[in-house]
Amino acid sequence: MASGTMVTEVSDARIARARLLIWLAGSGALLVWLALVPLVSPNLSFWFYLMLWVSMASGFNIISGFTGYLPFGYVAFYGVGAYVTAILVRKLGWPVAVAIPLAGLAGVALSLIFAKTLKLSGIYFAIVSLALAIICQILISNLPEKITGGSYGINLGGTPQPVLSFYAMLAVTVLTLGSATAVAQSRLGMALKAIRDDAEAADALGVNVPRMRLYAWMLAALFPSLCGAVEAWYTNVVDSTTAFDTLITAKTVIYATMGGLGTVSGPLVGAVILFGVDDFIWQRFPVANLFLLGLVVVLLIQFMPRGVVGTLLRRKPLLRRYLM
Amino acid sequence: MSTLLILQGLVYGLIVGAIYALIGCSLNVLYGVLRVVNFAHGEFIIAGTFVSYVLFERLGLHPLLALPVAAVGFFAVGYALCYLLMPRLRNADDPELSSFLMMYGISLMLAATMLSLFGADARNVSYSFHPIALKLGPLFLPTARLVALGVSLVIGGLLAWFFYRTLPGKALRAAIMNPDAIQMVGVDINRLSALAFGLAAGLAGATGVLVGLVFPAFTPFSGPDYTLIGFIVIVLGGLGHPIGALLGGVLFGLAEQMATVFMPQALSPIVGFGLLIAVIFLKPSGLMGRVQLR
Repeated sequence: MASGTMVTEVSDARIARARLLIWLAGSGALLVWLALVPLVSPNLSFWFYLMLWVSMASGFNIISGFTGYLPFGYVAFYGVGAYVTAILVRKLGWPVAVAIPLAGLAGVALSLIFAKTLKLSGIYFAIVSLALAIICQILISNLPEKITGGSYGINLGGTPQPVLSFYAMLAVTVLTLGSATAVAQSRLGMALKAIRDDAEAADALGVNVPRMRLYAWMLAALFPSLCGAVEAWYTNVVDSTTAFDTLITAKTVIYATMGGLGTVSGPLVGAVILFGVDDFIWQRFPVANLFLLGLVVVLLIQFMPRGVVGTLLRRKPLLRRYLM
Repeated sequence: MSTLLILQGLVYGLIVGAIYALIGCSLNVLYGVLRVVNFAHGEFIIAGTFVSYVLFERLGLHPLLALPVAAVGFFAVGYALCYLLMPRLRNADDPELSSFLMMYGISLMLAATMLSLFGADARNVSYSFHPIALKLGPLFLPTARLVALGVSLVIGGLLAWFFYRTLPGKALRAAIMNPDAIQMVGVDINRLSALAFGLAAGLAGATGVLVGLVFPAFTPFSGPDYTLIGFIVIVLGGLGHPIGALLGGVLFGLAEQMATVFMPQALSPIVGFGLLIAVIFLKPSGLMGRVQLR
């Protein structure tokens, strides 16, 4: 009996390790390719935004996939990250290398201000989150023009650094994917999934539910803030309409859902597939772009609500050994 | 001077609030019966405004005659949409959040369709009543707004009568209270859901016609503004409570219009959102809510 349990435990650990290696090899290969992009591909912008969406979707997955919240105002962190960077660089003249990490911290600080909303659930949380993002947008566009540039926004000044900011985005992507992987492997990840599946049972087993949720929330706030910060550097300009566009939240949610919320590889897979599709639609049918995006969302929810990876895992449970 | 401004704020608050009340009421019918938070509601409303715009500009039809056209047409669309979209959603892991996302997709499709039909320019329904304004005590009020207020009061009254005095209305309220029990007494929940969807869409269309009378301009991208207002109103009044939404709408309209009296125009939306957040933390079930939080 006892030895039998031992055997399964050992093989479980081996399967988990193999699964982790497969994921690290797959995502690692993609990251190596991305590191080479500036040397070989003329289309820097495509790959930059691909990484941005991978990070956004993967960060979103930490709060939504692992804990079941749907923050429909996720863009608030992105926008605040962008604005903090712009203000520090343009108005205070700080170097970008200092401004971007501080923008990430500002996002985490914002998540602490919003932390009280975590006691809401389901659709209430989604609506309040959306309202908070819009409040951020209104406040920022109404601050004195000296600080946020009013409705015109801020031009960062200086010369654009497309290649440098590309590598900054790559670093953010590595950080996001690495954190998501680490969380999934850790006690935190286990606790979060337990809470998502049954918060009361998790609580009864000694999981500190509010604290675990808060950790996930802070972590999930860090990555969009960094994305917003690096994107501000890349485009050299920030304005409140684009930095707080609900479409940014929506695309994040859609990409993550397309891959499969709650899986580690899902957001990467979903972002790569759908960003590719989105880009193709943009090139070929610029007018119908918005319509087709909406159609993809409807079809996705109707026919594949668990996303590519989620559906694969459900259809072929044995794949759990290889896919995380 | 300032009392006059406050008085005007109150009256405009009531007018705007009556429209918001209708928006919230239709959203709540949908949420109450189907647990669908309709992210595309604002686009339904703006589509209704465009119906009245086209009927007036092309055929010279009086905006009030566009009201039944939009209501009946949108009812049919909503009825059909329910059968098209809802069956597969019932099996989702989290139907509420799935439908929220799906309706976001619908809202993008509707906005894109209106954009390709009408372009991005701001438009208005240029019908003018005679006389163009009425004098009530010390206040001059645009006739169009007063007519809109009158019509919303009539629609609100009809809704109350429908929900409390007719069999389908009672069935809808019963479905909101307990969707399982109502099936046990032999009600076809699918048809009732389609009725709710149709009613919500029809009401949204009619509200859109009134929006054309009250608000100065609209574009194919105005939808999200009204969707958000609707969200605030239903949380204020209580999620899934159609009559509570009427109250929430008037309250929100008053708060918003009074805010424009005392604050810079651009900041006044914050009052609405602040109200929303305050209510959610102080009384999460809303002013008249009975639906339990999950």
